[in-house]
Amino acid sequence: MKKLGPVTRTVETPVLLVGLVLLAVLVGVGGDVTIARVATLAIVSVVFVTGLSIFSANSGVMSFGHVAFMAVGAYTTAYLTIPVNLKAALFTDLPGWLSWLVDVHAGFLVALVVSGLAAAAVGVLTSPIVARLSGLQSGIATLALLLIVYNVLNSWTDVTRGSSSMIGIPRNTTIWLAFAVAAVSIAAAWGYRRSRSGLQLQASREDYWAAQASGIAVGRHRALSWILSAFVCGLAGSLYAGYLTSFNVNAFFLSATFAFIVMVVLGGYLSLSGAVIGALAVSALQEVLRRLQDGQFTGGSALPAGTADLILAAVLLLVLIMAPLGLMGVRELSLLRRRPVSGERPDSGVEVVSEPLDRATQGVARG
Amino acid sequence: MILEFLISAVGLGALYALLTIGVALLFGVLGLMNFAYGEIVMAGAFAMYLFRDQPWFVALLMAIVFAVVVALLSERLAFHPLRNADPVTLMIASFAVSLAIQSLARMTVLPRTRGVPPEDFLSHRVDLLGADVSVLDLLTLALCGAMLVAVAWMMGRTSLGIQLRAAAEDFQMASSLGVRANLVIPSAFVTVGVLAAIGSAVLVARQGAVSADMGLQPMLIGVVGAVLGGMSSLKGAALGGFLLGAATALLESLLPTDLIAFRDAFLFSALIVVLVVRPQGLLSGAKVRVS
Repeated sequence: MKKLGPVTRTVETPVLLVGLVLLAVLVGVGGDVTIARVATLAIVSVVFVTGLSIFSANSGVMSFGHVAFMAVGAYTTAYLTIPVNLKAALFTDLPGWLSWLVDVHAGFLVALVVSGLAAAAVGVLTSPIVARLSGLQSGIATLALLLIVYNVLNSWTDVTRGSSSMIGIPRNTTIWLAFAVAAVSIAAAWGYRRSRSGLQLQASREDYWAAQASGIAVGRHRALSWILSAFVCGLAGSLYAGYLTSFNVNAFFLSATFAFIVMVVLGGYLSLSGAVIGALAVSALQEVLRRLQDGQFTGGSALPAGTADLILAAVLLLVLIMAPLGLMGVRELSLLRRRPVSGERPDSGVEVVSEPLDRATQGVARG
Repeated sequence: MILEFLISAVGLGALYALLTIGVALLFGVLGLMNFAYGEIVMAGAFAMYLFRDQPWFVALLMAIVFAVVVALLSERLAFHPLRNADPVTLMIASFAVSLAIQSLARMTVLPRTRGVPPEDFLSHRVDLLGADVSVLDLLTLALCGAMLVAVAWMMGRTSLGIQLRAAAEDFQMASSLGVRANLVIPSAFVTVGVLAAIGSAVLVARQGAVSADMGLQPMLIGVVGAVLGGMSSLKGAALGGFLLGAATALLESLLPTDLIAFRDAFLFSALIVVLVVRPQGLLSGAKVRVS
């Protein structure tokens, strides 16, 4: 450990992770149209799970509601980038106080940032919820948030087109733009993780009451990470909309939530590296399963619809049973793998415990 | 008019209470917030579809069998290996179980929505104390009411019920006093299966259709009701479910038409407010059991 300077150690993980994403970009650039599409969407997923992990990896609180932020980002991008004359045709019944939506227009980069800000605004509104709740209750409350956003988007037909698809968004997301956003997100997530607020939040993840007793304002740090993660998830939604050019409200509901949960749980939801690796691995797995279901491996005979979902669910169950903390646990990607985990980063003592959720182990590790 | 509304509101309340108990029982015993509950309901509903040509009570019996089998299988295959996991892991696992059962149904027996012709006797209307009441509403009320009484009897009077309540109260204490986990947990799942099957029979009669994703609504009802009532006691949960049902009936008749579509948004906002302000539930005085 002494051989590497502190700067090298600090940037090692994010550089490795960005390298992994770059690998996905190269695969996408070198492959055919389908591969390029899969790679781009995989990188959008990386942006999303990076955002999710800013909140859940540091706080240890699982969120089922982040897809709502992605939806907010996607809709904002749609309002800002669909050409004005098309918008006038699409939204004929806008209520008076929202009629300005038809006339606003912005370049994609501005739209990207505004989408993130819009999602962050929803994050600010909802931050008191996560600041106050933990564990299961937080899980239920974040799920309720998703259901509320879905219900509003699905039912407010005059403004959101309801269950009809949002169409005519110009394609602005290139694989390189997605890569750039992913790299910035990873850097931001890592920066937050190493920040004072991030470290205090991780302390509360290990022991909520001990952190409270040490004077850490857990709620405030949770709210901060929640808002930051909402911003990044909003970026993911914007990239998603800008790549697919049309989307439906059902893209932001339970099946998407489930897919992202599989990614973070498979990789390890307490680790940024785990989230990124999980996103790339599960995106690849989903594509393989899709081809399996279409019959590309079984000689053209398509398997019944639902096969891919069934296998994905089985994979998630197996991971939960065999390794509840995922592939990475609380570790981060590093070239110093020979060393025992506990010695890897002496500057963040809170990460010594490898099973933060298991109180018994925790007691042993402390004693 | 008032009586009509009362019977339909109380009936819906009883149905929701039934669904809520199914969620609250497993939460109490296992700490499991079971999102696969809706799929157990779906299994029962599928039996109602499969045996739609048989007499109604035969179909009901088969619905119970189907739902119990699915409930027990999910326990055996998924929740048994995770018995000591924390509630959030269990919740994620139940998500996976829910998706797995749903895709299995979609792959094999329910690739698309199937209509179930309503039983003849359900579409009649009867004159009750001067009010025009549909048999369906009466049946909802009678069946769910009877089931609630049966559950109350089982929980209060039988040895198994007392063991279940003890396990729901404090699982470790109960097991050190001789309550056997391998008896209590499967019987909790069996109870849940029976409750879900009765619920599914009523739901199928009301909706007239069965589909692979029909479990979402009953599951959400169960979860919201359980949270509202306070998950620490079954009585509180049942009351929470009942109030949720009555409130839904009320909202549907009171909300202006253009806001009815947003009913769920109102409901879930209320849920979040309850979670934040009174995490132990509206009706429970006890301290909440959290992860």
